[in-house]
Amino acid sequence: MFERNKNKQTAVTAEQQGSRPDTPPTKTASQASPSPAINRSTAMIGPSIEIKGTVTGDEDLVIQGKVEGSVELSAHQVTVGESGKVNADITARTVRVDGEVAGDIRGNEKVVISKSGNVRGNIVAPRVTLEDGAIFKGSIDMDPGEVPAKVSLAPKTSTSLSEKAPELDLKSG
Amino acid sequence: MNERQSSQLLPGLFESIAEDQCVTVLHLGPVLPETMEYFSGFRCKLHVNDLFAELPLGFQPGDELTVQERMSNLVSFPEGTRFDVCFFWDLLNYLDQDGIIALMECLRPYLAPTTMAHAFVVHNLRSPQRDCRFGIVSTSEIALRSRKHKVPGYAPQSQGKLKEWLDGFAVKRSVLLAESRLELLLEART
Repeated sequence: MFERNKNKQTAVTAEQQGSRPDTPPTKTASQASPSPAINRSTAMIGPSIEIKGTVTGDEDLVIQGKVEGSVELSAHQVTVGESGKVNADITARTVRVDGEVAGDIRGNEKVVISKSGNVRGNIVAPRVTLEDGAIFKGSIDMDPGEVPAKVSLAPKTSTSLSEKAPELDLKSG
Repeated sequence: MNERQSSQLLPGLFESIAEDQCVTVLHLGPVLPETMEYFSGFRCKLHVNDLFAELPLGFQPGDELTVQERMSNLVSFPEGTRFDVCFFWDLLNYLDQDGIIALMECLRPYLAPTTMAHAFVVHNLRSPQRDCRFGIVSTSEIALRSRKHKVPGYAPQSQGKLKEWLDGFAVKRSVLLAESRLELLLEART
């Protein structure tokens, strides 16, 4: 489980974490630094915890420690806290990154990289929000589905360049 | 600084994009929230690479890698990637001849005949450095925000040299802006 420096595949749930007497003490969600959308069924990987393996479960997760491997919580929210360092692919309903992630992120609903977030990897999500100051390198694959208000990137107006030249145009063609 | 600036050339970037097309975009620079908000309404794939964070890219005595080698390490994409739109913003003002040529060589495999690009350069080489980040608000408006740190290596090039070094792109339109800056609409050179 939350053993340091053991390179093996590990599946954990927050319930398991809490039931093990040898589990290192971790903060509860209410003790964690403020983070949006954390509800009462939220597990926490504390700042001193390092995990190598696969993290799965059936509740929301806040990562303030280090995770290497993969995080798979397709129906829940994963928050990488400011002290969190994740070297893993993350799959979740929503993903919020306040810390560091090196890996691919799949958000079934949304991915948010906050102003303190640093992500190197590829993101796939219907919606992605980057706050000012966020550091990101990689690709972002977005498909918002039906968006009636916006149907095309291209302006379908009579101000097409081929029809109307800019006033200060210096070169053409 | 947190400004908005109208653009007469942005519409040209998207003219050839079909309504139901998944747009592949290259963004060479830090991404602003406005850019994400704009593209979040569309099916798209954004490739974000903040080369400004790697500046200066000019060869320095003692460097183990050539500019071409460094650029190759920094600029690579999955096989099969073809960009519809490239945002250079003002990156070309921070690259020397080797840097621009290296960048073009790295990008060439990922350009389609219909690829369009956007860049800010200068009309007058004495045009002052404008330390800001750029984003797209709409097809006619650009967002500008100050940088926290001054970007090193500002050395704008003349239009003649750029035209020669931008192998892979040709200038389709340009518009003179304040402070002798130029906004360029580039099209892939086939």
